[in-house]
Amino acid sequence: MAYFKDAQDVYDTLGKLFVDLGADDELGPRFRKADTIVRYEFTNPDSQITVRLQPNQPGEVDFGESEMEPDVVMSMEADTAHRFWLGQVNVTVAMARGQIKAKGPVAKILKLVPMTKPVFPRYKKQLTEQGRSDLANV
Amino acid sequence: MEAFGATQWSGFKDFCQFASPTRVVAGRGLLDGAGFEFAKEGASRALIVTDAGVRATGLPDRVADGLRGGGVEPLGVFDDVPQDSDAGVVAECASVAKAEGADSFLALGGGSVIDTAKAADVLFTHGAEIAAYEGVYALPRAADGIGPPLPLAPLAAIPTTAGTGSEVSPVAVVKDPGREIKIFVLDFPLAPRLAILDPESTATLPAPIAAATGMDALTHAIEGVTSTEWSPFGDAYALHAIRIIRDNLERAVADTSDEQARGEMLVAANLAIVPTGLGATGITHSLSHPCGARHGVPHGVANAINLPVVIEFNAAGDDGVADRYREIAELVGAEPGGSGAAVGSALADWVRELTARLGLPRRLSEVGVSEESVPQLASDAMGEGSTLVNPREPSEEDFAELYRRAL
Repeated sequence: MAYFKDAQDVYDTLGKLFVDLGADDELGPRFRKADTIVRYEFTNPDSQITVRLQPNQPGEVDFGESEMEPDVVMSMEADTAHRFWLGQVNVTVAMARGQIKAKGPVAKILKLVPMTKPVFPRYKKQLTEQGRSDLANV
Repeated sequence: MEAFGATQWSGFKDFCQFASPTRVVAGRGLLDGAGFEFAKEGASRALIVTDAGVRATGLPDRVADGLRGGGVEPLGVFDDVPQDSDAGVVAECASVAKAEGADSFLALGGGSVIDTAKAADVLFTHGAEIAAYEGVYALPRAADGIGPPLPLAPLAAIPTTAGTGSEVSPVAVVKDPGREIKIFVLDFPLAPRLAILDPESTATLPAPIAAATGMDALTHAIEGVTSTEWSPFGDAYALHAIRIIRDNLERAVADTSDEQARGEMLVAANLAIVPTGLGATGITHSLSHPCGARHGVPHGVANAINLPVVIEFNAAGDDGVADRYREIAELVGAEPGGSGAAVGSALADWVRELTARLGLPRRLSEVGVSEESVPQLASDAMGEGSTLVNPREPSEEDFAELYRRAL
């Protein structure tokens, strides 16, 4: 059974993490050094998050349809994305197995992977504070 | 499972993947039998893709005769591939193939030529522009994207250098002139159907290029063994490649008429790329790609210079990794015993001495890289995909320090 019950559930949890990271004084500017727009296309449940990661631009995050044109599209099950942000997914293995599909100049996004490490406990804490122990402890 | 790469350095891994789908024929006199071999892959009308330098050697005419002899019609020679090919050349090549009524491609050249033919094959088969397929496993697939990748038109490759191994790798890299970036495409159908390894195809290779491309092959082999994405299958290929390089690279460079050594180096380069082509690489590549992009340093030369500092950095980091370097050091007779740092230092010195004997530059400062470039190069290196699969996680500061050691 999928972790998230519908798209709104994805946006309320994973989506909130992206919004909060964009507003973070320390991490936000570091992620925006990627200088790209990335779209995460999730299945099960079908949902979509588009994130603007461009220097000197606000950390814009769109849920669902977006007018932002992505450079990179990362496709995966929402469960895979959730487990990645909990620190449970080896991204290179997931790409090799086709669990994560990357379209576009993927190096821009791979550059960010080492920076995600400190975000893992933050995501877990966020979920716990949201009363989502079902998601925090998978 | 760790989020930043496996920490298992021996035994049965949690996950690894291996594939080497290209049929390889290796031997003497094979250029004359190119058609006989390529017809087995379904080719009947082939466009020969090459560059002006190779064309001047007369090899394309020889291969065209070989195609005819096996019943494959050579439809012409596309020789407009530059040293660093781009999306426009790829589109032109695909367009020529369509106009001539080709049903297959034969690439005759180094990495740029073979990658151009691979990318042109994608456009020839699926249409659009090569940038539309940029990424990892992004080629069209059956069953609404989750089935097997759709096949490309038959592609045969005859390498004229012994280094890149592109003739068997599932990767194509070309420049995008509009965006000033490299377009990286990785997917299984990009591995050519057929590779023909005949030392006659490297007979006119100048010694400095044979040296640089040979060091590229050595780098592939060493990083294939020491990457977090190592596999027992890849080890078998890469470790044997190291043995062959140990015994033949200097011979092939010292005497370019040594057909035996040239043939062995073609095989070594071919073996060495197999694990790398599936992602088992490391930060020597992360350091070297920006040197090429920003300063025009030939890839093999940059690898030869950067490899020793990376070996020292990685081997000092983890006992399991050090044991992998120890196995390589034993193969080349440089195993000193002792700590990982000692192994790394001894193996790095062996590489440096080999580089010197080959007559290649030994410092980045000799090839146009300066201290002022280091911060930009280090930033670029962080964005390389190879960085994620290096056995020791580097920071941007680590990259800057590694560049300074190599200056």
